[in-house]
Amino acid sequence: MTDEPSTPRRGRRVLAAAAGLGVLGLPLASPSPSPSPTPPRSAGSDRGTQLYQQSCASCHGQQGEGSQRGPVLTGVGPADVDFQLSTGRMPLRTEHQLQEHQEPVFSEADIRALVQHVASFPPGGGPPIPTVGGGHTPSGRELYLTYCSACHSAAGVGATLNNGRFAPSLFRATPTQIGEAVRVGPGLMPAFPPAVLTDAQVNDIAAYVDVLQNDRGDLDRGGWSLGRLGPFPEGAVAWVLGLGALLLLARSLGSRAR
Amino acid sequence: MSGEKGAVRRIRLAFGVTVLGAVGFAVTYSLGANTQLLGISLGVAFAGLAYGLAAWGRRLLPTGGYVEQKPELVAPPRRRDLLAEAMEGPESPLGRRGLVGMLLLGAGSIGVALLFPLRSLLSFRKPDPVTMLRHTAWDAGVRLVTPEGTPVRLTDIARGTIQIVVPEGHRRDGDVPAFLVRLDPERLRKEPGAGRVGDVVAYSLLCTHAGCPVALYEQTTARMLCPCHQSAFDLNRDAAPIAGPAARPLPGLPIEADADGFLRARGDFTSPPGAGFWSYP
Amino acid sequence: MITRRLYRALDARLGTTSAGRTALAKVFPDHWTFMFGEVAIYAFLALLLTGTYLTLFFDPSTADTVYDGAYQPLDGSTVSSAFASTVTLSFDVRAGLLIRQAHHWAALLFVAAIVVHLLRVFFTGAFRRPRELNWVVGVTMLTLALLNGFTGYSMPDDLLSGTGLRIIYSTVLSIPVVGSWIAMLAFGGEFPSDETAPRLYISHVLIVPAIFLALISLHLVMIIRQKHSQFPGPGRREHNVVGSRLWPAYAVRSLSLLTGVLAAVFTLGGLVQINPVWIYGPFHPAQATSPAQPDWYVAWGDGALRLFPPIEVHIAGHLVPAPFFPAVGLGTVTFLLLYAWPWLERWRTADKASHQILERPRDRPGRVAVGAYALTFFAVLLVTAADDILARLTGIPVTGILRTLQILVLVLPFAVAATAFVVARSLRAGTATTVGELTREDLHAGLTGSDELPEESRHPAERIRLWRNPDDTWRWCWHGPGDDLTSNEVFLDRAEALAAARTAFPGVSVEQDGPPEGVVLPPPRHEPGPATKAAAGLVWVAMAVLGRRADRRRSSPSEAPE
Repeated sequence: MTDEPSTPRRGRRVLAAAAGLGVLGLPLASPSPSPSPTPPRSAGSDRGTQLYQQSCASCHGQQGEGSQRGPVLTGVGPADVDFQLSTGRMPLRTEHQLQEHQEPVFSEADIRALVQHVASFPPGGGPPIPTVGGGHTPSGRELYLTYCSACHSAAGVGATLNNGRFAPSLFRATPTQIGEAVRVGPGLMPAFPPAVLTDAQVNDIAAYVDVLQNDRGDLDRGGWSLGRLGPFPEGAVAWVLGLGALLLLARSLGSRAR
Repeated sequence: MSGEKGAVRRIRLAFGVTVLGAVGFAVTYSLGANTQLLGISLGVAFAGLAYGLAAWGRRLLPTGGYVEQKPELVAPPRRRDLLAEAMEGPESPLGRRGLVGMLLLGAGSIGVALLFPLRSLLSFRKPDPVTMLRHTAWDAGVRLVTPEGTPVRLTDIARGTIQIVVPEGHRRDGDVPAFLVRLDPERLRKEPGAGRVGDVVAYSLLCTHAGCPVALYEQTTARMLCPCHQSAFDLNRDAAPIAGPAARPLPGLPIEADADGFLRARGDFTSPPGAGFWSYP
Repeated sequence: MITRRLYRALDARLGTTSAGRTALAKVFPDHWTFMFGEVAIYAFLALLLTGTYLTLFFDPSTADTVYDGAYQPLDGSTVSSAFASTVTLSFDVRAGLLIRQAHHWAALLFVAAIVVHLLRVFFTGAFRRPRELNWVVGVTMLTLALLNGFTGYSMPDDLLSGTGLRIIYSTVLSIPVVGSWIAMLAFGGEFPSDETAPRLYISHVLIVPAIFLALISLHLVMIIRQKHSQFPGPGRREHNVVGSRLWPAYAVRSLSLLTGVLAAVFTLGGLVQINPVWIYGPFHPAQATSPAQPDWYVAWGDGALRLFPPIEVHIAGHLVPAPFFPAVGLGTVTFLLLYAWPWLERWRTADKASHQILERPRDRPGRVAVGAYALTFFAVLLVTAADDILARLTGIPVTGILRTLQILVLVLPFAVAATAFVVARSLRAGTATTVGELTREDLHAGLTGSDELPEESRHPAERIRLWRNPDDTWRWCWHGPGDDLTSNEVFLDRAEALAAARTAFPGVSVEQDGPPEGVVLPPPRHEPGPATKAAAGLVWVAMAVLGRRADRRRSSPSEAPE
């Protein structure tokens, strides 16, 4: 088991965390998705400071005060920092990167160190990294359709927004990242504080997103899903494959055999 | 002819494939009916028939080379005259113009009378269409609740969030869905026509173009987008349409916070929600 | 023999012999483009068969019910009966999903085949006198197909189709003066109304299919009465049809087409997922999903709605909302033009003659241009209906794509029409048979040439031979340049044969002759081959085994967990 980027989605985070800790030669903490305070504080914060200086400070400022090139980081909260780093949206590499879920640049341990470092900027606060799991799928399905499907599509494939932006597909999001996105509202996405969606409801939503992601055998039981993009590709298939085949048949039947 | 022999063998083979497909279908069905296997087996069964019949029709049966005469459909004028005479001759009832006229009037009046029950397609217990279109269940004092039925407090609406609301007790009405957001007063370019409670405003969720829910909220730009035809509404400008085919702003919902902090409507939308119609005020 | 007794029994009661002989000998043109109408009929048959099965499980009601079944994320949820029964059909009814998906694919293919058939009829001038009435019947069937497709798509009461239904409701609302009354009467109240689902259902499974069936019959009766039109060619005249006889050749090929349609429908139905309503969820007026498109055959209307600028007209204190122009207006104009086309073209060309010989598209560059314009226009609208998906795939902002398409829909049809016009004229002027063979001279001739149709070459050396068969029947054969054509029927007397020959080829000399070499004799009978016997045996064994299995199941009432 190595730190291989193509490890299956489910549990990739846990594996990455284990591998990251192993590389650093630290005692293996319990592989819980939430940041655990067990690793030595000083080591983490040193590493965090170092990484922050290398990769973040040039845009976000020495103490997260922000600059013309990057927004303020004081008070955004650990959930936001963890979301941006663990989905590979930060640090920036390309222009379109903010919209897409990518392989994270940093290891799990480094991300934790960075989260701790940014959280230490005064005044602190902001949404913590949620612990997500164990939700109820049917209730999650209803909540997902009320709160998420307009942008992320009922099928979880995302949707087009204004000005060349789009709401991303949810197929790579981990439960924790879903919880973080719900609480933080990254980018154009609205945030849903506990007054709007309770922790239990977020668990339910994450459980249903997991169905959309991983329960494909049952959700796409009709066959080739056509990217779950709805009637447009269906029409294309009907014309190209369906009518195309019948056209060939008609040609062979109608052509006069001499 | 060896070509013909080969064709016969191929056709027989194709029909044999059909039998295999049919058996496969029956077996798949009995074993739990996987949709893909059912489709393939049935498709193969029919494709075997199609191939075999096509080969049969093309290789073993004569194609083309026949001609059928196509007699003129038009009858000679004299025959047409006879038909006309038979129809309109002296014995014909059509000769009595007055009676025919009254008959047509009578039949027509039955026809018109029988149009009346079409009105029953819209129950008489319901108000007339224009009244229904102009009014919704929102009224002064009605509480705003989430689609799950939970009442909403002013303090629930944080900056950057959106809450879809319906009037209490009218969860499934088509014209009531609305949404609450908290605006950034510094970026507000036009004061909401329905007023606001603090920085919180409520608008109809239904696109003024074709009535789809404009449920795509871009929090940073304060825009609502429609998933159907890509209209966009700018909440900082009283929900004015800024892109796409929508021509009218989203109707505002006047709201207030009651003593317990729950949000209530102060009345109906500022204009009828959803698509426009002829008697739109 | 049993068949002979059957013929006699039928003839004694109904007098079927003469009609039967004519029917079996009916000649069908062989050109492959004549087969799309048949494809449409066979797709309709597939729709009837699969649809009937679906009605046994579908519940057209919006009454609340609790879904209890194999689709876990919906288990225990309260949804409408229509939605719940559709999910049950897809998850809990064995083979239900196959039949449901096959039904939907058949619908998409059905409309596609109608459109291709319409294009064939349009570009070859088959709608001309005497076939205008059948054109009208055909266009009516197209509108009914669109209507029934849409009601079927809307029946499951899912989020995607509910949104589509709402757009239709809004479109009807936009009609001046009477829009709100029509919408409310049709939907049974303000959208969404509980009355809508049963109305969609009865219209989808009974009213429209019944009308459609009647119109198909009318369509076919008119074809039988008028007989087929045909492309020009050796021996093809205004008073004959050249091709294959219904029996034996054409019937077998047509059966092949039928089974081919069924193969396509069921293969797609099993392998390609269509309209997964369980993913979309039940309709709720406050919920939305994206991308939101209708099925392709109404998507041009959706594209027009996206494309049309936000223009609303106020008339004396009244409102004509934006959807009126692109949806109601465009739809009305489109179908009025389609209905009126035979008369519009007659008015333009002053051609009142009756035509049995088709034109090749190139013979009428003007018609080609109109057709190319319409095809391009609707193709752009179809693409527009997916502008959000295009924006997603290309990364271009959706507003930019929309702006581009708005320009394209105005410019591109003209450009394509002009090109098609020139190409058609060049093909007509030159000797090239396909677009690929066109030369510069052909193009020059196409650009500068006159509008005159080239004079049809009259038929030189041709003759008809008439002969008596050994069994005292009569037959004739046309011999001319390029082909030899045999009379489709065997005649009982000489006068009958002569009359038929003179009708089919007026003015061609007929000479009597002895029977030609190789008069067709009945083929020798075959014993069934070993493969057929083996297959039959296999079927028997399979049925016996299945029957035993079913018996065993029935006899053990306590179901063992598998």
